[in-house]
Amino acid sequence: MSTVSTIDDAATRGRRMGRMLTERPVIVLSAALLVLYVVTGIQDPSLFTAQGIRSTLLLACPLAIMAAAQTVCMLTGGIDLSSAMIANFAAYISANNAGAGPLQSLGFAFLVGAVVGLINGVGVGVFKVNPLIMTLGMSSVLVGVVTVGIVGDGFLSGSSRLLPFVKTVGSGNLFGPIPLNATVLLLVSVALLYGLRRTGLGRNIYAVGDNEPAVRLAGSRVWQVLIAVYVIAGILAALAGLMFSGISGSVGPDQTNSYLLPAIAAAVIGGTSILGGTGGFAGTIVGALILTVLNRLLLGFETSEAVRQIIYGIIVLALAWVYVRLTGQRAD
Amino acid sequence: MTTTTALPAPTSSFTRLRRRHGWLAGVVVLLIVFVVLRATQIPNFGGFELRTILAGSMALAFLAMAQGVVVISGGINIAVGALMVFANCLAARFMLEQDALTATLIAVAVIAVCAIISGIMGLVITISGVPDIIVTLALSFVIGGMALLVLPAPGGGIPLELQPLIVGGFSDPLPAVLWLTIAFVAIWLPFKRSRWGIATYAVGSQRNASYLSGVNVANTRIRAYVLSGVFVGMAGIVTTAFTGGGEPRASIGLAALLSSVAAVVLGGVALTGGSGGLLGPILAALILSLIPAIMLGFGWNPNYAEVARGAILILVVMFGGYIQMRKRTT
Repeated sequence: MSTVSTIDDAATRGRRMGRMLTERPVIVLSAALLVLYVVTGIQDPSLFTAQGIRSTLLLACPLAIMAAAQTVCMLTGGIDLSSAMIANFAAYISANNAGAGPLQSLGFAFLVGAVVGLINGVGVGVFKVNPLIMTLGMSSVLVGVVTVGIVGDGFLSGSSRLLPFVKTVGSGNLFGPIPLNATVLLLVSVALLYGLRRTGLGRNIYAVGDNEPAVRLAGSRVWQVLIAVYVIAGILAALAGLMFSGISGSVGPDQTNSYLLPAIAAAVIGGTSILGGTGGFAGTIVGALILTVLNRLLLGFETSEAVRQIIYGIIVLALAWVYVRLTGQRAD
Repeated sequence: MTTTTALPAPTSSFTRLRRRHGWLAGVVVLLIVFVVLRATQIPNFGGFELRTILAGSMALAFLAMAQGVVVISGGINIAVGALMVFANCLAARFMLEQDALTATLIAVAVIAVCAIISGIMGLVITISGVPDIIVTLALSFVIGGMALLVLPAPGGGIPLELQPLIVGGFSDPLPAVLWLTIAFVAIWLPFKRSRWGIATYAVGSQRNASYLSGVNVANTRIRAYVLSGVFVGMAGIVTTAFTGGGEPRASIGLAALLSSVAAVVLGGVALTGGSGGLLGPILAALILSLIPAIMLGFGWNPNYAEVARGAILILVVMFGGYIQMRKRTT
């Protein structure tokens, strides 16, 4: 957390780069994004047009919000593998209640996210279940619930029409090349950046990820922090689900599943340590933009979904490796 | 637990037996209850039903063993599901229209490939110092992508004469029992009793202490991953024989991964490592596979089986966490 920048004179250039990357990841990452953007643009000139920028932002915004859910969990040393299923479920719930007005439709969707997050948080915070296992199990429960809901006359059947508001915000245009969903990302990032840096909860989140026993001994209630984190992650996942459904104009039982690893990757690329304690949301946003542009570059080379999956996996692994190297936080 | 500070009385052999095998005994009882429950749902329970149960749960049993080895060594392998799908696709693609002998050789080769891939994962984990979870999660997507490259769409095949040899014929439960027993008796037990096995348990329970007492921690962990890969390869071959083809969908791998973790936890292997065996996970895999069938028998929507599996996983792990908490406070 402490960002005391006493640059060792004897430090080599590479080490200074490394320190820069761990302490000010946003600067290094923005440079990387710029390079990637230009390279992709040369390969596919339509990226430089307003339409190209718009389509990049349109996809990057929900991804960044999905990655926000992972970021807050990862800051405490956890992870939320149920966020894709929360997103799918929330989108279904919203569509199912679309007829009852926007308040009820959106309210229920966020309620689903909050309740699932609460259960995750109780498991992780109170019962000390490994976050990965807890959220994986929750994901399976949600797969079952959604499957039961959509087959036959289930409680989710007939939810095919989206709330008009979701569709407008999800795919509408603000001005020029800026899509309307960028405003949602803006609101979320202001809340998260402020909340993580300036509030007691935010500081506790970093502290829990850094040294949980110390936080407990200092008198903070770790379990309350963890519950809050997973509830926030659940709500953010629900929001991402609504935004994704707004883009596609429909809901599906596995519509956001392919964004789960990119979301984790965005947080890891953005410099948030999976071991907890370091990182932040600013890097995650740049990470989401990098991945979206990278996706476009790969699409340009006509790579299949399979190859893209392989490349994502390798990027996440390589970056986790680099960060462990730079911070010296070996797991063993 | 008593509150006296005196030295603990020497534990009787019964207490020791209960402590060591109490959980396993519970799993056995639960399995018997489930089998009896299933048997009462079917008018004439016989070889056919036994074969269905065993053949259907065999892949999960192997996968539970694969997960169990790594968990005992103190890690967790998120890539077992994806690797099983990969093995399934690899086997189905190359076994199509081959004779039984060639197909058998291919099966052995697939198992070897899985062992190598899994070993590479272990190598990356020990060299990089990145947590097991991250490495195996990232590589599970790489492996899932590779499966799609090997077999882009469902298809492939396996020689018809090989299928009954692996998963049993129409009402023949013997091959399934045989292969599981062979894997357990001929691979796991000798490993567990060997120096390597003892080192695996030592590394899983106290990594630093075992390092200081001269155990090669890195090699031990890699070995656990290699053995895990062997079991995953077997699970892939069994899946190929059971379904008669290959299916590259990633969701299959995810469901399989979840079941494998649930089986390991239910089978009495602590996620903290260093304890338990592989018999528990195998029996737990049978229990988990029985759930959908029993639900269907009661006339419930079998789609709830997914809910039940996730809920069981969470509840068992929570129960374990609760016991840990009780221990800490007393």
